[in-house]
Amino acid sequence: MKLTRRAVLRGLVGGALTTVALPFFESLGGRARASGGLAPKRFMLYFWGNGIQPARWIPADSGPDWTLSEQLQPLAPVKDAISLITGLEVKTPNDDAHISGPGGFLTGHPTIMKGGGDWTFAAPTLDQLVASAVGGDTLYRSLEVGIQPGVRGLSHNGPDSLNPPETDHLRLFERLFGATFKQPGENTPPDPKLALRRSVLDAVLTDAKDLEKRLGANDKIRLDQHMTAVRDLEQRVARLQEAPLDRASCKRPEAPPALDLIDGRPQMKERARVFADLTTMALACDQTRVVSFWYSDPLSDVLYPGTTSGHHQLTHDEPGDQPQVNQIVLGILEDLAYLVDRLRGTPEGEGTLLDSTALLATSDVSEGRTHQIDEYPVILAGTACGTLRTGFHYRSTTKENASRVGLSLLRALDVPTATFGAEEGEVSDGLSELEA
Amino acid sequence: MGMRFPLNAALCVLALGACDNSASPSLVVAAEAAAAPVEVTPAPSSMRRLTQAQYHRAIVDLFGESVVVPELEDPDVAQGGLLSVGAAGTTYSARGVSSAESAALTIAEQAMKDPAQRARWVPCDPTGPGDEACAREAITRLGQSVWRRPLTVDEVQRVAAVVVEAGSTLGDFFAGFEYGIAALLQSPHFMFRVELGAAGEDGEARAFDPFELASRLSFFLWNTTPDDALLRAAASGELATDDGLRAQATRLLDSPRSRDALRNFFSEQLALYKLDALAKDPKLFEHFTSDLGPDAREETLGLLLYKVFDEDADFRDVLTTTETFLNPRLASLYGVPAPTTEGFRRVHLPPEARRAGLLTHASILNLQAHQTSTSATRRGRFVRNVLLCQPTPPAPVNVDTSIPEPSGTTLTLRDRVKEHLENEDCATCHLAFDPIGLALENYDAIGRWRLTDNGAPIDASGDLDGATFSDGLALGRAVREHERFGPCVVQTLVRYATGHVEVATEAAAIDALSERFAALGYRVRPLLLEIVMSPLFRLAGEPR
Repeated sequence: MKLTRRAVLRGLVGGALTTVALPFFESLGGRARASGGLAPKRFMLYFWGNGIQPARWIPADSGPDWTLSEQLQPLAPVKDAISLITGLEVKTPNDDAHISGPGGFLTGHPTIMKGGGDWTFAAPTLDQLVASAVGGDTLYRSLEVGIQPGVRGLSHNGPDSLNPPETDHLRLFERLFGATFKQPGENTPPDPKLALRRSVLDAVLTDAKDLEKRLGANDKIRLDQHMTAVRDLEQRVARLQEAPLDRASCKRPEAPPALDLIDGRPQMKERARVFADLTTMALACDQTRVVSFWYSDPLSDVLYPGTTSGHHQLTHDEPGDQPQVNQIVLGILEDLAYLVDRLRGTPEGEGTLLDSTALLATSDVSEGRTHQIDEYPVILAGTACGTLRTGFHYRSTTKENASRVGLSLLRALDVPTATFGAEEGEVSDGLSELEA
Repeated sequence: MGMRFPLNAALCVLALGACDNSASPSLVVAAEAAAAPVEVTPAPSSMRRLTQAQYHRAIVDLFGESVVVPELEDPDVAQGGLLSVGAAGTTYSARGVSSAESAALTIAEQAMKDPAQRARWVPCDPTGPGDEACAREAITRLGQSVWRRPLTVDEVQRVAAVVVEAGSTLGDFFAGFEYGIAALLQSPHFMFRVELGAAGEDGEARAFDPFELASRLSFFLWNTTPDDALLRAAASGELATDDGLRAQATRLLDSPRSRDALRNFFSEQLALYKLDALAKDPKLFEHFTSDLGPDAREETLGLLLYKVFDEDADFRDVLTTTETFLNPRLASLYGVPAPTTEGFRRVHLPPEARRAGLLTHASILNLQAHQTSTSATRRGRFVRNVLLCQPTPPAPVNVDTSIPEPSGTTLTLRDRVKEHLENEDCATCHLAFDPIGLALENYDAIGRWRLTDNGAPIDASGDLDGATFSDGLALGRAVREHERFGPCVVQTLVRYATGHVEVATEAAAIDALSERFAALGYRVRPLLLEIVMSPLFRLAGEPR
C-alpha cells in the first residue's frame, strides 16, 4: 500500500506490523503550503463505546427512500445529509470483546494481543491515514477531542503510538483560539520569540539524529514518531509567523462555560455540543482537516443522567430489551445530528463545510450485550467534495467486509492506495454504493 | 436471562491452563536453584519514556520545589500491569510534544526568575547578552544534570548556540539562557531514559555504563533523576563495583525519598492512581463524594509504606493486619470512632469493624466494583492477576454474559452468578475468581460493611486453591499464606525496575530473588537492595 510523501508504511516483524513511518530521518525537506481558495477535503471520525441495538437500529427498508428506524430517529433533521450502512462484518479476529471491533474496522488489521489483556493496534487508524494525506498543510495535522471525561481514544499512528484526545474543553479553546490565534484580518507583526522557539526545536531534532544511530529498530520507530511530532510543531511555529488565512466563516468563538459534574455525572450532551462548536470552527479556520471525536471509549461506563448504572454495565445487566441502553444511544445520535447540522450550517465558498467533509460515525461492537462485530454500525455524512454519495440506506445481505468502508473513504479523501487492511481485514474493493 | 454459547469451551480451559503453567515451572526451578549463581539473558532493552510522575519529580529536583510544573499531556499507558512497563513501549504524541514545549518554556522562565536557580546553573558572570564562553560553561553544568550524563563537546556547542542567539536577540543573557534550558528539556536525551548498555570486553555480558546505571538506580529507588552525589559516583567509577553500587543503593534507600518512590510503585501496582477519577452513583451512596477515592488511596499507601519503612515488617501482614490509617470520613465509612479531627492517623481497628488488611480497604473495594453495585468477578480477578500474578483470560466474545436481576429467591450476588459457576462453559473461568470475589460481598460498592444483599443474608464462604475461608477476613489470611503471593511481589517489582515483562531467560533469577525474599522474612526494603544487585537490574539486553 502506497501513501503520500509523509506516510511511508514500514513493515516491522514479519510484515504483520505496520506503522505510518514518519519519515523524519529520511526526508528532512519542508512542505509547501497549499494555496488557492478551493475548499480542502476534511475527515471527521465520531466514535462511541458499547455499540447499538440491532433490533432497534436496522431500518425496515433500504435504498434512497428508506425510513429511519426507532433508534435512528434523532438523525431525522439531517437524514438527507447522511447515509446508513448495515449488515457489514468486521472480518479480523474477535479476540477482545471491545477492542477487536474498532481495531479491525479503523485499521483494517488484526489487533495485536500481547497477553495479560494488553493490546495495541497493528497499523494507523483511518484518521491518521487521512491525516498523512491531507493534514500536512494545516496548523494541526489532526485534532483529537474527547467528550467522556478521561476518555483515552483510539487514534493510533502505529503500534503503541496513541494520539490522546483533549478532554478539557477550556484547554482546547485556549489551544485553538487563545493567545496565538489570529482571525482573518488580524495582521500583527510576528513575535521575535517564535524564531527562537524554532531554533530550540532545530537543536532538539539534531540531538535525535545523533541518538538514532545507536538505537535498535523498534526504538528508532518510536524516536521517529516523537521527532516527527517535534518537526510538525516547528512548522506550526513557522506558520504562526505568517498572516492568518482568509476564511470567510472563521472567527474567534466565545469562550465556553465550565461544565462540571452534576450529581456525580458528566454533562455529556453539553460537553458534546461545546466540542462540536469548537472543532467545527477549527475546520472553518482551516487549523486542521482531520478531527476525531471520541464520544466515549470502548467499555465506557459513563453514568448518564437518568440511568441506574454505568453504560457498559447496563449493556450487560439491564433486563429485557434494555430501554436505558436505548436512551443512551439515542442521546449519542442526537449529538451526532447536532455536529452534522453545525457543519452544514457553516458556509464555505458556494456551499458549506459539510460538502467538503467526510464524517464516519461508528462504535466498538454492534450489540454491546454480546460483543458481536457483525452488523457493525456505520453512519456517513458529507460527500467530501462530491466524491461520496449520501441520502440512502445500503444493507449488505452477504456480510461484506467492513474494511470496504475504510477503503472508500481513503479513496474519497485522495489517499492513494490500492488496498486497505491486512489478512482477513484486507480489501481491494471499496463499497461501490458509497462512491459517487 | 438466556445464555448463548457459541464459545468453544476448550478455549477457556486452555487459557486457564496457560496461567497455571506460568506458575508451576518457576516453582520447580526455584527448588533447584537454591544458592547457585543464576544465568540471566536479559530481555531486549528499550528506551523508557519518562512517566508523568517522573517528569514532574525530575523538574522539581532540577529547578526547586517552588517551580510550577505543567502537565505533560501524554497520559501514561499501563502494560504488564504497570505504567513503568508501558513507558518502554510507547512514544510521544503530537499533543504531548506540544505540551512539552510550552512546559519547557514555562519552567525555564521560572528558573531564571529565581536568583538561587540562576546562581546554581549559571556559575559565570556573562560579559554581554551573547557571551558564548559563559553559555558553554553553564550548559556543561546544567546539561549533565538534565541529561543524566556529561554532554559531548558538540552537544554543548549546539545548545550554547541557541543561548547565544536568543541572548543576542532579546538583549539579555539570562532571557536567552531560558531557551537553552528549553532545548535541554525537550531533547530525547531528557524525555527518554536512554539506557542502552554496551557490549562487554572479552566476552563479558552487555552491561549498562555507570551513568545509565545511576539513572536506573535513581528512577527505581527515588523515581527521579540522579542527584549530584550519584552522578559523581558514576563519574568516579564507584558505581561499576559491587561495593560502590551497594553503597549508593543503600544511601538512596536510607533517604525518605525512597518512600515517595515506593508510593509510586504501589500506586501503579494496585492502580491506585485511578482513584482520582473514582465515580459512584451519589444518589445510591450518600457517603460518596469525589474525595472518597483520594482518601481511600491515602489509607492504603499509608499502611503499605508504614509496614515497609517504619516497621520493616513481613510484607504479607498487609493482608491481615487490623492496623490502618484513617481520617474522619473513612472512619465514618467504616463505622468506627474518628481517630482525629483532621488528617490521617494510625489506628487498630476493633473486631466489630470486621475489617483487616488490604482486601477490606475502601480503595480496593471501590476500584474493583461497579459504580452502582459490587462485582465478584472484578474483585476475584484482582486477587488472581495483581496479588498472585496469575493472569486470567479476558471476557469471551459473542457470549451474553449478563446475570439475572435480583428477584424471588435469587437475591444475593452469589445466587445471581450461580449460572456462571454451574454452567460448564462459564465455570472453567469463573470458578477461578468469582468465589474469591464473593468472599468480599459483605462490603458494598463503596466499601461499607453489610450483612445482607437485597434483603437476603450474605454467604461469604469459599476456598482459594484448597484453603477454605468463611469470610473476607479469612480470605485475607488465605492470600497471605498462598505460595504465589511472595513471588508475585518480586515479579512485579522486577517488572517495575527493569521496565519490561520478564522473559523465560530471566525466570531463574526471579525465582532466586523470590527465595531470598522468603529467607529475608518477606521484608521489602532489603528485597529492593537484592533487586539492584541482581544481574536482572545490571545486565543490558540488546537494543530492541
